[in-house]
Amino acid sequence: MENYTVETFNREFERNSGQLKSYLLRMTASVKDAEDIVHDTYIKAVDKLHSFRGESSLKTWLFTIASNLAKDNLRFQKRWTENVTDITKAAALQNKDFFAEAMHIAATSPQGRFEVKEHIAFCFTCISKSLPLEQQLCIFLKEVYEFKVGEIATILVTNDAMVKYYLHTGRSKMISIFDGRCALINKEGVCHQCSELNGIFNPKQNTQQELTKIDLVKEAEKGDKEHLFDLRMQILKEIDPFESNAAALQQHHLEHNRHVMDKYVTES
Amino acid sequence: MGNKTSLANNGKAATVRSTFSRQTSITISINADASIVWALLTNAADYPRWNSTVISIDGKIALGEKISLKSVLDPKRTFKLKVKDFEAGKKLVWGDAMGERIYTITNDQKGGVIFSMSEKIGGPLFPLFAKMIPPFDSSFERFAADLKKEAEIIMTSK
Repeated sequence: MENYTVETFNREFERNSGQLKSYLLRMTASVKDAEDIVHDTYIKAVDKLHSFRGESSLKTWLFTIASNLAKDNLRFQKRWTENVTDITKAAALQNKDFFAEAMHIAATSPQGRFEVKEHIAFCFTCISKSLPLEQQLCIFLKEVYEFKVGEIATILVTNDAMVKYYLHTGRSKMISIFDGRCALINKEGVCHQCSELNGIFNPKQNTQQELTKIDLVKEAEKGDKEHLFDLRMQILKEIDPFESNAAALQQHHLEHNRHVMDKYVTES
Repeated sequence: MGNKTSLANNGKAATVRSTFSRQTSITISINADASIVWALLTNAADYPRWNSTVISIDGKIALGEKISLKSVLDPKRTFKLKVKDFEAGKKLVWGDAMGERIYTITNDQKGGVIFSMSEKIGGPLFPLFAKMIPPFDSSFERFAADLKKEAEIIMTSK
């Protein structure tokens, strides 16, 4: 077992902080909450460093602390609904500031470029908040941050069997939602939001041509739903929502959706 | 006794009828952790995904809670049921004035479980409506087979 000094721990923490921050943003949908929880994770980890026995990797240990803090943060919040994109789209269309702010970000921010892949990742983050919390946590930890079932059991303080249950039911639910809604993979899908937004932010682009560059869209006709889900997860793995070309724009959309959905689920 | 147990775990339903009651039972062995079987049995919203005998269950499956169940056996009817017993990982009972459904999970000491389900309906007026209630055997066998299949898929997933 490696004994960490505060100095060596700081180096390791720095190495993992990007993934921690993106994980927490995807769980909380709040930049401020994600940053606060990363900070609190650091404080708590330094405080408890003497008790770290190396029974798991440091990364697993840090994700355990961060997940517990995220669960505390989310425990009293109602879950979103799977038609989140319909509700937030309607709210955006009624909010004259929304597109003005978004266009300003697109025009001025180095991270304000709209890309369909980024929106696919953003969309998954929003819809995953309709899953029970444990299912959402397990999906992100396994499919995006590549933890093994046993490591996730450690992080969530449960057993391997329950992690498998949460993964299976969460995956099944997300596959079913996207199969019913996402026009990228189902011609009958009701949601065309990424194509519509691409038309608004990139008017000179041929959206259909752009879409055919994405494996998820290319493979859609084969109809292998499990494979399409894996391709969707691949997109999330490749995107850091704090560092990507579209980070500022997507964070603006996420902040908007969080305000709208928190109000919607509280009132309904 | 050994033969009796293995025969009873084969996923075949059996019904015992009397003048004032009818009881259908089934037992099946499932190669999955008890926590998976329990989670499947107590997640109301998820039933239609894996259980071909259930159209929907609304409500929360927890002690004292009321649930509304629609079954393929009688799709036009909504059964209003109360959760009467809830011993995590072991026993679940729901029912109404007519009868109750009992689910039990027992560890088989080999990493799997023995799952049993029985339903007894009856009462003083039972002879008047007995012929209107369809047999449960086939539905019980599908329920048990679906539960076994789903739990074992989850157990063997990576």
